[in-house]
Amino acid sequence: MKFVEKYQDPWHTAAGEDGPIPHPNALPNQLLTLEQWHAVRDSWPAGLPTGVIVPNDVDIETIEADLPRLQLIVLQFPKWIDGRAYSQARILRSRFRYGGEVRATGDVVVDMMPLLKRTGFNAVALRGDQKREHAERALGFFAGHYQGDVLEHRPLFARPPEERKAAAEFVNQGAAI
Amino acid sequence: MYQYTDFDRQFVHARAAQFRDQLERNLRGELTDDDFRALRLQNGWYIQRHAPMTRIAVPYGELSSRQLRMLARIAREFDKNYAHFTTRQNCQFNWIPLPKAADVMELLASVDMHGIQTSGNCIRNITSDAFAGLAPDEIVDPRPYCEILRQWSSLHPEFAFLPRKFKIAVSGAQEDRAAIAWHDVGLQLRKNGAGEVGFEVLVGGGMGRTPVIGTVVNSFVPWQQILVFLEAVVRVYNRYGRRDNMYKARIKILVKAEGQKFIDAVNAEFSNILERDADGAAHIIPQAELDRVAQCFVLPQGIDPAAQPWTPPADAPVAFKRWLDRNVHAHRAQGYKAVTLSLKRTGQAPGDVTDEQMELAANLADQYSLGELRVTHDQNLVLPWVRETELFALWQEAKAASFATPNIGFLTDMIACPGGDFCALANARSIPIAAAITERFEDLDELYDIGDIDLHISGCINSCGHHHSGHIGILGVDKDGKEWYQVSLGGSDGSTLSGQSVPGKVIGPSFAADEVPDVIEALITTYKRERQAAERFIDTVRRIGLAPFKQAADAERHATAA
Repeated sequence: MKFVEKYQDPWHTAAGEDGPIPHPNALPNQLLTLEQWHAVRDSWPAGLPTGVIVPNDVDIETIEADLPRLQLIVLQFPKWIDGRAYSQARILRSRFRYGGEVRATGDVVVDMMPLLKRTGFNAVALRGDQKREHAERALGFFAGHYQGDVLEHRPLFARPPEERKAAAEFVNQGAAI
Repeated sequence: MYQYTDFDRQFVHARAAQFRDQLERNLRGELTDDDFRALRLQNGWYIQRHAPMTRIAVPYGELSSRQLRMLARIAREFDKNYAHFTTRQNCQFNWIPLPKAADVMELLASVDMHGIQTSGNCIRNITSDAFAGLAPDEIVDPRPYCEILRQWSSLHPEFAFLPRKFKIAVSGAQEDRAAIAWHDVGLQLRKNGAGEVGFEVLVGGGMGRTPVIGTVVNSFVPWQQILVFLEAVVRVYNRYGRRDNMYKARIKILVKAEGQKFIDAVNAEFSNILERDADGAAHIIPQAELDRVAQCFVLPQGIDPAAQPWTPPADAPVAFKRWLDRNVHAHRAQGYKAVTLSLKRTGQAPGDVTDEQMELAANLADQYSLGELRVTHDQNLVLPWVRETELFALWQEAKAASFATPNIGFLTDMIACPGGDFCALANARSIPIAAAITERFEDLDELYDIGDIDLHISGCINSCGHHHSGHIGILGVDKDGKEWYQVSLGGSDGSTLSGQSVPGKVIGPSFAADEVPDVIEALITTYKRERQAAERFIDTVRRIGLAPFKQAADAERHATAA
């Protein structure tokens, strides 16, 4: 999982004083709104590293055809208890086989980490008050889960007995409580 | 009963450790109360009127004597000696201080219990028929499927923050004892013409402000595909359910608003998962997994079906015969019966038990029922494996422990939420209303004369006391800071007795608290006057309509007279 620091992020939005520029210039590492992308995609140069921000109430199917041209999809959590972007990420990975960066932004708190990771996010921009060390710890509590996910397709029942046992040993060795 | 594997055990312990970390961050001020709220809810911790309320999952209502003793210990050491069993077969405590929460979760984990997903906007504890695995009318034992669903839904990463709570109920019998049509998803196990097992899937039932009966979205999903089908249902809900208004956020609103479009979207998603997803086939349940889980639910060791049917001795006391008639239920194993321990008696709120009573019930389970109990949707306990030849001895002990009130299915076997005495959501108290009605109808002969009737009481529109599905429903409402009670008639939970699931109809403006017992009595008197032969209350209501009942109830208005 990549932790995105605001001032070290190579991706830049194309915004002016009045908000997003309607027709941004073709520059590398532009992070475009969906509207911007739709305005420029027909003339946008091939091979230019490009990212798009997809709001969580937009059908992720909207960008399916564009995915080969996009290196970054930014998904949003306007409130962290609004779980729509988990389904968007899951579909990006499982259905569209998207292999670029899927980033969680907005009200992202450390306790979301296991869910983000398991639904296919590989980058997060944590909310300002959240600590990276807590986020890393949040990823460590569970050695395994029942249902399959984007990283481990097989649910527990489809995994060989040795693997089920390994998860149990993880705790017996003192990983929990 | 399901036997925890090493994996199950480490999973619950890991959850307890994760919760301790979250709780400690909250207590240190590193996790705000607001952010902590959704996390503690998904572990069963509410903030209530006096202290946090904690809800412990009893998956599909199965409980061992060992687990019940732990609940008793928690009631004794952390609560004020009480626990409460709910309509969703769970167990609640009302007085445990939040700083003790992690200790309680660890104790629960030591007996394979937890509060995972007993609250919050996620897939809740799966409920089922309390007589699963022993009812003579069973088509397919639902418990192995319930357990597979429990595992699939536990910490599902995509479905932890749905628009609103999501409740699944499963029935495998001809008689629906789980009120499945009232759930977000109701699953009815069926066999098709070829004898293959599948599920009829109902979606979008629910109570609350807008009572809705579930819609059949698929009449036969082969059991192997049920997880995939549910993934499609919940994904469509997660994507399109309303989040702008919590009163319109349940899946029932989406199903009502979209109708056939909802069903089409589910079917399209189902096909997409199976045909397009990299892991689309991963959650098809293999026979080997069903067999592995089903092994836990075979007839328990020690069950020895009798060669001859048993009949009670002719000179048995009348009280024992009454108990046999009301609290003892047919069993698929000859020589056995299922026995309800009634948690409905004068002086205690419906579904409430003390630590001592829990210890006694655990002892009875050990002595007479292979250490197993069930929690029922009607807020009673059941001993599932009682030898007929031991019924008399059990009755005597149950009587001494106050569990033998022979009132199952009667007016005093009412469903009630904890109401305003405990619940911060409630508009009005349920317990004093329940107590007043219980006192009014203490006479067993009268209860017998009234016969089968469902009385359901909710302290607010959230409908935890299922007032919509009661033959008589009582709903607490708040007007100008005072408690009032709306009365409805003719609701059904979907059982054979009650008829097709339907919400009751309100019979007029709300009543004052002290009018309610008189109103109930007036409704009963009207029924007794109007009934034909052996007609039951609900049938009389359906035949003659609400008007005569409304008139009788209105005659009891004093404080609320027009």
